Formats: sequence, structure tokens, C-alpha cells
Amino acid sequence: MEQLTRRGFLKRSMLATAGTSLIPQFLKAWEGPVDADPDKILVIIQLSGGNDGLNTVVPYRNDIYYKLRPQLGISSEKVLKVSDELGFNPVWGSIQRLYDQGYLTVINNVGYPNPDRSHFRSMDIWQSASGSDQHVTTGWIGRYLDAQCKGCGSHSAIEIDDSLGLAMRGSELNGLALLDPGKLFLATKQPFYKRLSEVQGDEPHIAYLYKTAAETASNAQYIYEKSSVSATTTTFPNSELGKKLKTIAELIRSGMSTKVYYASLSGFDTHVRQGMQQERLLSQYGEAISALVSDLKQSGNLGRTLIMTFSEFGRRATENASGGTDHGTANNLFLMGGALRKSGFLNGVPDLSHLDEEDLVYQIDFRQIYCTILNKWLKADDKSILGESFPLLDFI
Amino acid sequence: MIIPQAKVKHLLYRAGFGTGLQMESWNENALWKKSNDDHLLKVVDKPNLDSDPREMKDRAKEVFEKSRQEIMKVNAAWIDQMARQPDLRERMTLFWHNHFACRTLVPWFAQDLNNQIRLQALGSFSDLLTTVSKHPAMLQFLNNQQNRKDHPNENFAREVMELFTLGRGHYTEDDIKEAARAFTGWGFNFQGNFQFRPRQHDEGVKTFRGRTGNFQGDDIINMILEDPQTSIFITRKLAAFLVSDDGVSESLVKEWSDDFYRSGYRIDRLVRNILGSETFADPQNTGTRIKSPVELLVGILMQTGGKFDDDRSLTFIQRALGQVLFFPPNVSGWPSGKAWIDSSSLAFRLTLPRLLFSGDETDFRVRDEGDVNGLQNDTPGRRRLHCNVDWSLIANRFNKSSKDATLAAIEDFLLSRPLLRENRKWVAQVTDKKTDDKEIVKSGLIAMMSLPEYQMC
Repeated sequence: MEQLTRRGFLKRSMLATAGTSLIPQFLKAWEGPVDADPDKILVIIQLSGGNDGLNTVVPYRNDIYYKLRPQLGISSEKVLKVSDELGFNPVWGSIQRLYDQGYLTVINNVGYPNPDRSHFRSMDIWQSASGSDQHVTTGWIGRYLDAQCKGCGSHSAIEIDDSLGLAMRGSELNGLALLDPGKLFLATKQPFYKRLSEVQGDEPHIAYLYKTAAETASNAQYIYEKSSVSATTTTFPNSELGKKLKTIAELIRSGMSTKVYYASLSGFDTHVRQGMQQERLLSQYGEAISALVSDLKQSGNLGRTLIMTFSEFGRRATENASGGTDHGTANNLFLMGGALRKSGFLNGVPDLSHLDEEDLVYQIDFRQIYCTILNKWLKADDKSILGESFPLLDFI
Repeated sequence: MIIPQAKVKHLLYRAGFGTGLQMESWNENALWKKSNDDHLLKVVDKPNLDSDPREMKDRAKEVFEKSRQEIMKVNAAWIDQMARQPDLRERMTLFWHNHFACRTLVPWFAQDLNNQIRLQALGSFSDLLTTVSKHPAMLQFLNNQQNRKDHPNENFAREVMELFTLGRGHYTEDDIKEAARAFTGWGFNFQGNFQFRPRQHDEGVKTFRGRTGNFQGDDIINMILEDPQTSIFITRKLAAFLVSDDGVSESLVKEWSDDFYRSGYRIDRLVRNILGSETFADPQNTGTRIKSPVELLVGILMQTGGKFDDDRSLTFIQRALGQVLFFPPNVSGWPSGKAWIDSSSLAFRLTLPRLLFSGDETDFRVRDEGDVNGLQNDTPGRRRLHCNVDWSLIANRFNKSSKDATLAAIEDFLLSRPLLRENRKWVAQVTDKKTDDKEIVKSGLIAMMSLPEYQMC
């Protein structure tokens, strides 16, 4: 998306004229939602395995919580209180600071109708943005690329991993997976690969393979050259997620035209002895994300970056007999950035007095959040990407 | 016009897994070899459960770990079998394994469903559908154990119609509700046998697709089979699998599906019609299909006779390429064609031959499904996927009087479509400095396997 878009053109012409009021109405109409906003960036962080939302954001005033979780419940003295009813897990000091600065919005009770408690199925549903009775083989970001990014190359969406997840697959375009820019560049500049990218197939199907190889090589080179001059001085934790977010921070610093970044942290499937395990992961997450936020702030990118963190489901409200929790349904979702319209808590607390078979009942469909991000943040046609319209939320 | 030899080759690629090393005397008839009991996978024994497996919850981790290992043993045995007996029955078993996509944590369920499918892969679709629908693996996967009178669970009824028979748009939500009522009581016991539980069955009157009666599950299956739409749906899908991912014309689908329906759903008849057609033999449909990861892997093993040092390499490769047998992404199976290809999967495919045969190492990290009881990631780091091949045997087979002739013989053997001219030049360069016959054959074969042409069938 290096080309000058209509929107960019309009912005520049606005500077030349006196102000918005001088722009004719018909020109303003061009700035409809289908015109991609070249400035905005979305970072998605996936917590794989089903993060226990109730021990992440603790309803420390609720007796039912402590009744359902005699072993696992986090005592109200330890909780980092941020509202009259809710507080963060004790290891989330770093997140509390983001909350205090207005960089965090928490949405409670996020889920979807007829929830599926299988990891792979529920992750499928979240990544493809489908209903639980549908099977969709493309991802929501992939379909965003199909709709918005014709001709912009697969670096429009980058997943920090060795392989590409469903979310990033469209029917025409895919995102690009890379664990680090240097590694991908090294692989594609080998003589074998370089030679391939100069060959063209003699038939459409095989041509697709050669085209993919050529695009990978050119993207790898573009990304490597851009990112090699944008090293950050921010200290990122040396954890798995810390390294991934450092890569994202440097790619954003480099001024690349990438719209969406995607990273995952795994290990949240805490059926047994949850306490230590979840706290280790949450603290890894908290430290890595606050390094990212402060780096974005330092490089002047926080205002144009929105970070969304989700998990495929929450966990059962009742603890199990092994010091853990089993698969549940509705969960909290976290949004961070410098342009949040409503920071803090967007909606009410989880209702523990009306459970459905020991599980929380969802109030906000996750696709409302996707829809809001696509429509208001990425200025994309949310309806065509999601297949239907969902009520917009007002966090941005 | 395809010349006869090329025609046989095309047939071997689409109805089998390509030209095999052991296949000098192969012809079309070998594809149709009658299967016998030897073809069945016999890796795990039927469990002797006399109590509810849920009572083993306290040792859940241990039980899951063991079952995962056993399912991957069944997985490895099947891949080995496809590579050793790459015939139509295995090919069709792979087709139905995807059509009736199912996950189970009970290794014997996985193995038995696979064997039942193999036995009926070329038989009657009616029988196959009934067998699969009543199999404990499927009933469990689609939650029919939870489908009870007054508490219906519609998952099973929905997927039977949407994915196994009619396809979306050919039934209503009411049909699903009514069918789910008819399927109440279908379950299985701890011994792993189908069981009808009359007390959980809804005896009331149901109205299904315009007909009213006190229907049972079998009645629903029969009514679905009476609708020619089922024949059309299966024909369209099988034609895409055998002929082209882009599908075939609707008039051909109609012609083949009418015959399939009239024959009482004889799968072998449908397959013969498709494979014998002009459209199948059309050069436009030759060497134009992207191999699935399993087809690629089976092909490599079959064409080299390779054996892994460590079966965990098989798991790793399937995960890296995005297709692990017995672990479909969901009940609709794996997407096909271009969906297999993205920048990283393609790069891994192209490096694979060197990882297997040249001692190269990889630090590729496979995706984690999040499930603590699922397939686990090993500790990250470099790994070897070494695969043992008897290179002298292969050299003897392909060695010709000149290097060009040797390379041409390998090309003809390995590839479903000719090498692009510039690639043929490159392969010649790669083998240029080799003087030893065995080294020429080995380096030529690895080079050709590393090209996009090898990804096609």
C-alpha cells in the first residue's frame, strides 16, 4: 500500500486549502468506509488454550466467585483493584499501569451463541469469524486482505510465526508468516530460492506456486531492508512473546505499510494446578505488552495502533478437583492503544448468579468487536468481510 | 491427445499416489486389486473397558498422553500402508477420511472407523454412510451421546445433512430439528459398539422434508438417500478430488450422478465413470492439481522406499505442512488446492527433500493447538528428519548410458508434468560435478523433488 491513496491525497490537499469546510461534499463522500485508512495498525495477540478470564480480571467483591473457587479464588487483599468490583491478577502490575494511563479497555462477557468447548473448533470460529454452526475455510483478516489489499502484497498482514494461521488466510490473498525478518530473508536469498522466483509457470496452477515463491522473496527482502534500520532501544523481556512483540515493534518503527500483525502465546489450557502456570503466562504477557506499548509511545505510533488480545474461550466458573479449571465459554477481551474512546471497562461485570451449566453467558458477540475494528479502525467494508452486520461498539 | 503411457501415469497419480519404485509391472488393473483383510490397520487392540472412561479422570494426563501416542502409531501405519500399497482403495480411503472428517481420543475408534471406511471405500455409499453414522467415533465427535428426548442436540443431524449427504441449502432448520429428534437414542456402549437406547429416543411424530411419521434414525438416512441431491453432492465432490479442484461441468455431474443414483450408490461404478471419461484424460487436467501434504509425503516415501529413523518426524512433517491424518481441522475436513499453499508452507515443501535426504536441519516451529492434551510441541531447536533410502537400488534402476538419459528417466518417473526448460538446465548443472553414478541419481532426484513441478499431480 505504498501508493498514494485517495484519502492520503485528500489529506494533503486539505493542508493546501484552509480546512475541511472547503472540501466539496462530493469529495468528502469519497472518504467512505471502503477506503482503507493508510495510517492505522492492528496488532492481534492470541492467548491459546483458553485463558481463565475470572482469575485474570477478578470479581473480588462477589461471594459466588469465592464459593465456586475455594482453592483457586484470588483473595481480595491480593487483587490489584481497579474498580469497585473488579481487580487484576496480582502479577498484572504492568497492565494496571496501562489501565491507569487510559491505554486499556476491557470488554467482559465476550463470546458467541451455542459455544463450542473444543479448542480447535472454538479457535476456528474466532479466527474465521463464523457462527458455531458454520465451517468457513478463510480467516477474517484474510478476507480483509481480499477486500482491501488487492495488489499490496502479502506483507499487508504479518504473523510472527513459522507458519500461517487460519485468521490470515483469504481466498485470494494470504498474510505472510515470519518468526524473524532475518531468518526469512536468509532462506529466500539462497541461490535455489532466488532462482525459483525468476521462473514462471506454464500453467495457472503451477504458476501460482512460482508466483508465491517470487512474492515471498520480494516481501522478505523488503521487510528485511526496512527493518534492519529500525532497531529499538526499548528493553523487551527475553520471553517467547517478548521476542515476537519486539519484532512487531521494530517493523512498526520501520514505517512499513503493514496493516495487521498477529502473534500467539500458548499454554493457557490449565486443567491441573492452574495457579502458578497462569500467573507465569500472564506476567510474561504483561511485561511483553507493556514494553510494546512504551516502544510505540516512544516512536510516536501509539495513537495509530490498536492491540487486541483474545483467547478461544474462558474457563468454567467452578474450579475442578485438580486445582485447575475446565473449558468454559464467555471471556474477557482486551484492547490497548493511544486512541481508545472509552478506556477502562466497556460493559458490566461477569454475572456469576446466572450461569448456564456452570458457564458464563456471553453478552457481546466477538464479531461485534471485529466489526467495529474493521469499520471504524481499518475503514473496511465490515459487512462483506463478516458476511453480515453486527451492532458497532464505541471503544474507538 | 495424451499418449497411452502418459495416460496410465496420470491415472496412477489420481487414482493412486503416482508411479512407485516397486511398480515396474504396474498397470491399470493393479489399482483395482481386491482388498482383503491384510489391508486393515491393526496397530491397537480393542479396549476392554468395563467402566466409564470418565472415571479415569484422576489419571487423565497419562491416559491422554498414551492415547495420543497410539493414534500417531495408527497414523504412521496408515502412511506406511499408502506408500507400500498405493492403490485405489487407499486413495478412496483418504477421500472418505476427509469427507467423514472425525476426531477421537480413543485410538481404537480412530483405527476402526478407518478400517470400516477402507472395507467399503469402493462399495455402496448407502452402507458406508450408515456404518459411519453409527460408529462410536462419529457419534461421539458430533455429540449424539448428548442427543436425548426433551434435550436434543442437533449437531449430528446438521452435519449428516450439510457435509455428508445433501449439502447446504437443501434442507431447512426445521428438518434439522426433526431429524435430531429421530436420532435421539443413537449412542454406543463402553465396549465401543453402537447401541440404541429406547428410553432416550423420542417416540413422537416427526415431520421431515414434507413427510410425517414416527421416524427413527435409519428412516432419516433412507429418506436422505432417496433424494438424488445426495448423489449430486457426492459426485461433485469426488469429481473435484479425482479430476480438478476447479470442479467439472454441471452437465457431467448430472450424467455421472444419475448413473450413481440408479446403480444404488455403487461407488466403484461412479469412480470408473469418472476415471474413464474424456474430461479426466484431458491434458488440461493433467499435472494441474496441487498435492495435499499427505499425498506429497506418501509420494516421496513411495518413490524412494524411504524409512524414517524416528516416526516422530512423520508427525512433525504433517504438522508443518498443515495436514495431520486423524486430526482434521473440523468436521468439514481439510480445504484443498491453493489453500495448501502460502509463503511458509511452500518454502517448507521445497526444502523437505533436502531435510530428508541431504542431512539438512530445520528449526521450523509447528503450530500449537492450545490443547494441553493435544499434540504437543517439542522443545524448540534444530531438528533432523533423516530418512533412510537405499540409493544403490535407486541408482541401479535409473542409471542409463548417459547422464542426460539418466536424468530423463528420473524425470519421467518422478513428475506428473514435464520440467520447465530452465529447471531442466538447472538440474543438469546440479549434477554436473558428480561423477559417481549413485551421486548423479541421488542429486538429480533430490533436485527434481525440490521443485514446484513435484508439488503437482
